[in-house]
Amino acid sequence: MSRIFVTGMGVISAIGHSVAQNRQHLVSGTCGIQRALDLFPTKYAGLLPFGQVRTSTETLVKQLQVTDPGVTRTSLLALHAFNEMLEDAQLSPEDLASPETALAGASTVGGMCLTDELFADANHHTNGSPYTSSYDCASVNMFLQKRYGLKGIINTINTACSSSANSIMYGAMLMRNGFARRAIVGGTDSLAKYTINGFNALHILSREKCTPFDENRNGLNLGEGAAFLLLEKEEDINGKKVYAELTGYCNANDAYHPSSLSDEGDGPYLSMQGALQVAGLTPGQIDFINAHGTGTENNDEVEGRAMLRLFNTAPAFASTKSFTGHTLGAAGAIEAVYSILSLVHQEAYANLRFTKPVPSTGLTPVLAHSPMPVRHVMSNSFGFGGNCSSLIFSKP
Amino acid sequence: MLYIHRTYCISPQQTFGQVDLETIQEPANKRLLAMEPNYEGIPPGVLRRMGRAVRMGVGASLPLIKEGLPIDGIIIGTGKGGMEDCIKFLNQIVQYEEGLLAPGNFVQSTSNAVAAQVGMMTKNKSYNSTHVHRGHAFENALIDAVMQLNQFPGKNFLLGGLDEISDFDYNIEELDGAYKKDPVSNKVLFDVDSAGSIAGEGAAVFLVNDQPADALASIRALHILHSEDEKLVADTFRQFVEKNRNAADTIDFFLSGESGDNRTRKFYTACESALPASTPVARFKHLSGEYCTASAFGLWLACRLVQGMALPAHLLKSPASVSTPQTILLYNNYKGVQHSFMLLRK
Amino acid sequence: METAELKQQLKKQIVQFLNLTSVNPDDIKDDEPLFGEGLGLDSIDSIELIVLLSREYGIEIKDPKEGRKILVDINTIAAYIEQHRTK
Repeated sequence: MSRIFVTGMGVISAIGHSVAQNRQHLVSGTCGIQRALDLFPTKYAGLLPFGQVRTSTETLVKQLQVTDPGVTRTSLLALHAFNEMLEDAQLSPEDLASPETALAGASTVGGMCLTDELFADANHHTNGSPYTSSYDCASVNMFLQKRYGLKGIINTINTACSSSANSIMYGAMLMRNGFARRAIVGGTDSLAKYTINGFNALHILSREKCTPFDENRNGLNLGEGAAFLLLEKEEDINGKKVYAELTGYCNANDAYHPSSLSDEGDGPYLSMQGALQVAGLTPGQIDFINAHGTGTENNDEVEGRAMLRLFNTAPAFASTKSFTGHTLGAAGAIEAVYSILSLVHQEAYANLRFTKPVPSTGLTPVLAHSPMPVRHVMSNSFGFGGNCSSLIFSKP
Repeated sequence: MLYIHRTYCISPQQTFGQVDLETIQEPANKRLLAMEPNYEGIPPGVLRRMGRAVRMGVGASLPLIKEGLPIDGIIIGTGKGGMEDCIKFLNQIVQYEEGLLAPGNFVQSTSNAVAAQVGMMTKNKSYNSTHVHRGHAFENALIDAVMQLNQFPGKNFLLGGLDEISDFDYNIEELDGAYKKDPVSNKVLFDVDSAGSIAGEGAAVFLVNDQPADALASIRALHILHSEDEKLVADTFRQFVEKNRNAADTIDFFLSGESGDNRTRKFYTACESALPASTPVARFKHLSGEYCTASAFGLWLACRLVQGMALPAHLLKSPASVSTPQTILLYNNYKGVQHSFMLLRK
Repeated sequence: METAELKQQLKKQIVQFLNLTSVNPDDIKDDEPLFGEGLGLDSIDSIELIVLLSREYGIEIKDPKEGRKILVDINTIAAYIEQHRTK
């Protein structure tokens, strides 16, 4: 079976507009979550902390030279990360538009970031805003397809918060099954009145900056961003720079509850175990886990318990959601980039604001930026509906 | 590529339980709404939270669930997911000014609610995926199933394509120009020369694996592309036909996803003319209506046809006497951009 | 409002708000557990019931955990409403 390598990356999040900026802030421990939100009118602006990307939608439109009407912030964030990935990988326009190049993206919000416009159009209060074909999750990749004339297989996955981990897995599967020679994989989501109110209604938005894996954690912060990676086969590398090898991936289902994980954490356990199996690794070979770690009571305890169940002694782990907030459909891809940075720079990033372990697990995450040998890193993403995915990246 | 062993379909026509395609059910209020069965077998505690899309998806999967057929993974394609719940929650946000909101609609509005619900009902802890790439949502789910079967030979997957038409989604699509302005009977859908199609909905599910024994049909090949260029589409179609031409797979039936929209007719005409003139052509969107995953209805119909279902005359584009097709080529396009070619054989 | 009348009204509201289409409000016993056994409600329902109490009776319950102590059965909810209602 052909080995699959990551040869290009792009990311935009609350801690930076490029891979380099994101790493700089991960290293310095600079959190991007702020009690500020100025993207749309909402009563939670200034009240709750969010991981907002510090560039306005208008500025993104100008910077990215987008002239088509009806392009949403979710698509603009995607384009920003997509362009960085293209330049980083030096992918030619011909290769990009080749029928052998697949695009597997993910989003859970799509054009619903325009909550007020959607409300007006859906209830027929208008003669049609410019966004009538932009509300679905597919609109992002439809936009990228058109902009770059992509001709390969294009897909959008929405499995809630594990979406872009699954799009990375899907891209790799397309390559391994002869449906594509290379795959651009990733995800995007922007902050939306819709998701803010949804998570708030479930009482899982923290009033303070989130504290993943802490005994007194009290919920997540929503964030936004996008990330894309280029996956290429070993035989196409020809001396190109290679960041990491995608060695393991697995999706499993907790099959317990629509919005929370079971006490036993079968879903997380099975996805981590399955990824190890695909990679042909033993638990002891995982050096670091970029945890899902949302900061909710349910997730962090169950994830910790599942780690103990599989690893006996948990490897070093941390949740970078303490920097970016939970970026939903983008989280799997953004954290894949962070996991790869850990491999490239042989370092682990901090789990910010942690003070005291959860009593039932006693687990303490990495507390400060730490240089360490990293050969294999696992990245977890778990979503509503019990959808659990784990990826493993290895040093090439 | 893969074998289809069971299939169930909830649609605007009599397709669930006793199938009757001779009688055409007509649209109400400009939309072809699915004939929903009474869902005996879904626990009331579960049913009460389900929006239409989830209900239809789970409802169509129920016979498989009830018969206890082995399901090793669940793969769903849905263009819009639970749009109705989504807008209901949105309406709450506005009505209660972002105050205290009931979260049920929000939880159900996620596109993966169907796959998750079937997973929960079957206590299935393995692969669970939801593809939402608009007019290629079902096609990607199908590709996913093929790949899962390559990785896990001998397993069984539940593959489904489903979408609902809620009032809200109808409004948005209508503003986007997706539907004909004036009410049209689906019986004359293909005779009206105007822009837009007719709104539809439905859920079709398939139990698939890699075992040829006793299969209803097999998917031999699949190709998807995005293009607004009819020449490129026709060329790709010809290449697809050429590549899959062999003694066993003589295409003897063309199933067309023509939607009655005069803006996309050229694609169907171009593909049709790439096949020998003697190839019978059938259409189905007057039965299903147009929606993101209507190709799943097309595939359900193709399975019936290769099984020897009597062919209602209204399906055929031109009158012909047709014997049971052996190899069907299904071509669909969504909004003139997302094209798919599927080759199916008995 | 008499307690019996309040309970009657509450049962109807719960059935309607949670869309318990198969349940006849009169069949819910006053001491029947709402969660787990009995009606078989879950954590999302408990949040929805808090919303119901807020919209119908002007009762604010900030912490869903506190809610689970109140939302035991019709008796406990009715007692809480009688003490805390603001409308």
